[in-house]
Amino acid sequence: MKNRLCQLLLVAVLAALCVALVACGESSDSPTGVGSAPVVNVAPPEEIAEISIDVIDPYLTATITLGNWPPDTAPEHELALFEGFRQIMNAQFPNVTVVPAFFSYTLSSYLPMARGGTAPTLFQPPFTDPQLLIQQGLVADVTDALAEFGLLEKFSPSYIDLLGDENGRIFGLPRDGYVLGMHINIDLFREAGLMTEDGLPMVPRTLQEMAEKGRIIREETGRAGLVFPASETFGGWLFTNIAWNFGATGEYALQRQEEDGRWVANFTSPPMIEAMYFMRSLRWEYDILNADATTTNWAGTHNILGTGMAAMNLAANDSVAEPTAGRGLPVDSFALIPFPAGPGGSYALTGGTAFMFSPDTTHDEAVASLHFLNLIGVLPFVTDDTIAAQRAGAAAARDRGVPVLPGIPAWNDEGFIAMQRAVADEFSNVDMRLYDDFFNSFVDGSITLRGEEPVFTQQMYRDLTAAIQRIITRENADVLTALQQAEERFQEFLDDEINR
Amino acid sequence: MRKLKQNAISWLIMLPSIALFAFFLWTPLLQSVRMSFYRTRNIELVEFVGLSNYISIFGRQEFRQALANTFSYTFWSLLLGFFVPILLALVIGETVRGRGIFRTIAYLPNILPGLAAMILWSAFFSAEDTGVINIILGHLGFESRTFLTEVNLVIPIIVFISTWRGAGATALIYMAGLAGINPELYEAATIDGAGIWRRIRYITGPAIFNLGSTLLILQIITVFQIMYEPLVLTGGGPDNASMSLMLLMWNYAFGGAMDFGRASAVAVVTAVILLGFTVLYSIINKRKIEWD
Amino acid sequence: MRKKRKAGLPRTGIIRDFDKKTIGVKLTLAVVYIICAVIVIVSIFPIFWVFMAGFKDLREFMTSTAIMPEVFDFVRYVRTWNQLNFLSNYINSFYVILGSVISALVFNGLLAYGLTILKPKGHGIVNKLVIGSLLIPTTIALVPLFINIQNFNMGGFFTPLWLAAGANAFQVILFKQFFQSLPPSILDAAKIDGCGQLSIFSRIVMPLSKPICVVVTIFTVNGVWSDFLLPYLVLGVGRWQTVMVRLFVFSTQQTINNDDLMRAVVFSMIPPIIFFFFFQKTLTENITTVGIKG
Repeated sequence: MKNRLCQLLLVAVLAALCVALVACGESSDSPTGVGSAPVVNVAPPEEIAEISIDVIDPYLTATITLGNWPPDTAPEHELALFEGFRQIMNAQFPNVTVVPAFFSYTLSSYLPMARGGTAPTLFQPPFTDPQLLIQQGLVADVTDALAEFGLLEKFSPSYIDLLGDENGRIFGLPRDGYVLGMHINIDLFREAGLMTEDGLPMVPRTLQEMAEKGRIIREETGRAGLVFPASETFGGWLFTNIAWNFGATGEYALQRQEEDGRWVANFTSPPMIEAMYFMRSLRWEYDILNADATTTNWAGTHNILGTGMAAMNLAANDSVAEPTAGRGLPVDSFALIPFPAGPGGSYALTGGTAFMFSPDTTHDEAVASLHFLNLIGVLPFVTDDTIAAQRAGAAAARDRGVPVLPGIPAWNDEGFIAMQRAVADEFSNVDMRLYDDFFNSFVDGSITLRGEEPVFTQQMYRDLTAAIQRIITRENADVLTALQQAEERFQEFLDDEINR
Repeated sequence: MRKLKQNAISWLIMLPSIALFAFFLWTPLLQSVRMSFYRTRNIELVEFVGLSNYISIFGRQEFRQALANTFSYTFWSLLLGFFVPILLALVIGETVRGRGIFRTIAYLPNILPGLAAMILWSAFFSAEDTGVINIILGHLGFESRTFLTEVNLVIPIIVFISTWRGAGATALIYMAGLAGINPELYEAATIDGAGIWRRIRYITGPAIFNLGSTLLILQIITVFQIMYEPLVLTGGGPDNASMSLMLLMWNYAFGGAMDFGRASAVAVVTAVILLGFTVLYSIINKRKIEWD
Repeated sequence: MRKKRKAGLPRTGIIRDFDKKTIGVKLTLAVVYIICAVIVIVSIFPIFWVFMAGFKDLREFMTSTAIMPEVFDFVRYVRTWNQLNFLSNYINSFYVILGSVISALVFNGLLAYGLTILKPKGHGIVNKLVIGSLLIPTTIALVPLFINIQNFNMGGFFTPLWLAAGANAFQVILFKQFFQSLPPSILDAAKIDGCGQLSIFSRIVMPLSKPICVVVTIFTVNGVWSDFLLPYLVLGVGRWQTVMVRLFVFSTQQTINNDDLMRAVVFSMIPPIIFFFFFQKTLTENITTVGIKG
């Protein structure tokens, strides 16, 4: 009898919970249908009103699903901004329907959607993937639309290589670039007593300093000095940059092509071994890594830095929103510094994100998508409207607590770059002393920018991650053996895939 | 003539279902075999390459490791996944008051989605001091452990979580089996002077053994399906220590390389090992597995 | 000695009522109940914990060593629910379940009907193939199945998921076992009455098979709700994604906050838990016939 009563009670409680949730979902005035825009209760920034709402092309007819929409978990300010853009788009192009369709690109999720015809018209793969997508026929040729927009002449040759095929057809356009640096949680530096008299954190300049400062932070605060995502491909990605700074470039480069065209992996050069010993010391000597390193992914690093579980994170300028607005770290407690230098050099990995189009995209859809990109101010054109769009974007970022910083432009257009700079200055919400080093470092040459290794980079990162995992989970693991195994593994892969 | 028509109509009635079985189960299995002999691009077969996919995967350290791990998974899931349900069944069978509740509660984790369970337990086995098990260890005065980052612990932990989900359901099968034992057997044994331990040995034990040998093969089949568990918890790491054959297949196919040929080769090897187990099992058991 | 226990229930385990209550027996029983208590805690505590964790914000979730939240802020649940637009995922899951149940009952039922009652010439081969399907896990054929679905251009919508439920060897065998127990006289009578073979199935066999239909329905509902690998490959991350696909994508997505993730886990667990408390009797009583699945 008692059991039954308990059960009924539990069921009633759970049911009530559900009803409450469903009711909450429904009471909002947004349409709750699938794929609809999420609830937005915040007005878009007023700067957006400066964009002209005159009709530009009444005849262009297309329905575009935009994968570059902010995720529905995004802060309301960002969603409001895009909702504002959508309304302006409707006014400028009355026959273009914009469907928000946030899509966090991964190859495995994109593939079935592209094959099944459900991929968004526009999506954003990293620079590592366009060639694979082009070869597999998974993206649309947008050469004509780009030409119509006058964008083709603005393409630098390297982007034509990146986004085109051997026939000179182009399948996408660059969005922006990133440069790897280091995110800093200033609160932990303060707690550990690592502050200068000017109230700035005593951030590391070199990898050695990173280890030492990390140890002080561990001793003083009990938190991890460095959060390191030694999982999936992330560990190898960051380690590659560390290896460069130990000198794994030039003759010691991780990949090189022989004269007969054969690709060779070289993970056992002296600088690589030194770099891996350094990695080892971070865990077993300085003990500055987060405990969960081997299961921490990229998102995890931001969770950890943003909530003050670690003080340093090797991360890029394009993700400053993650630990701050995304994870609740106030902008005053955040800094971005250059990637620490090593004994063999001072490099920073650079890469970027592209815009590409689903395989069944029509010419009109591509043109409409480009119009939308121009509307939000990411194409290299300086007009009153694009300035207003950039200002609205900066205002939205400021309102939700993201450090407003100059971007790293994908287009080599001086006017456009100057405009971006000016807007960032106008809306700046940070103490630029915490960022200047980063942005100056690759202008004044104190850091050399370096693109990713040329072939099957993701696979290489995966194999290197496994070696790192071995080193940081087994105290007596042999560094050379771990690197040899990774090298063998990746060489097998290269032989299978391109050396046949 | 009438009979012929009858037969034709009967086949027609079964046809849609047979087509579905063919589409979802049988042809994919055959296609796996075929595809394993081909190089693929996108989802098309490009070139017949003979055994080279097999040679290539056997040459890869990650595959050899996954193969070895599969036996480690099997070992642990026999240790935990096989004996825990028996223990549950025996213990719950001894209770009188609250038995229904115990049974129901032991079964509850089984209805939770496996993915949700994995995410939930990943917070328990977090290596940070804020991981739930580390919190509990801390209260008990123990040092924190680093669980899923430890090469030797990661497979036992994954098997533990699977057991947590599945043990209650398996225990119910044993309980049903034990309930079927003729009560007079116990009484007769007691009259003969058999104590509790001897009853376990001569009555309960054999009953469990009979059931267990059938459930064993199901247990092994389940072990070979392990894929999303390490995918969600560890990605197969650290250093491939929890890589399973099916996860390797998933990685080859959907992890970025789109290498469906090698993925199929891994699948075929797995199927062959499984068939080997089944044949071995039926030889040992000297009886065919009859389900109908 | 044969004193009945308070509730009047007999002991049915190894220790029987006729055993002397020696210290050893009492001790054993004490240990039994202690183990049961442990079972209850281990089963329930993680579920309880995740409901509590959902009340925490990110910072508290990441840094606090307390099990209970500082405040019971229900708004956090509501916000995550709204942000993730979980209602639409619930609706999608509901569609998948609905279609799958129908497909499971019709197609698996029809095949079992053919194999046990109609038995046309040569049905033995199909029978063997179906039984053989039990021994190879479906995961093994995932890659070519994915390619099949793409080649038939069925990706992006529920159809393949619905149809997949109609090819379940376990359920065919369940149906078969039940149909074999039906009295043949009824079927013969039906044939004389001139019912067609299909209408015998729909008018006589299925109505008589309600118990097994309930079992198949319940296990289909539970299985379909939890499944995410095939749905993920079929639906991608598009607008039709189900609750579990959503959770899978969410857990691998790079903008995820761990506290939101825990709340999403809670959302994915609530319907099965409710379902369980309504149907736990059917579930627990029939697990013996269904075997370990899922």
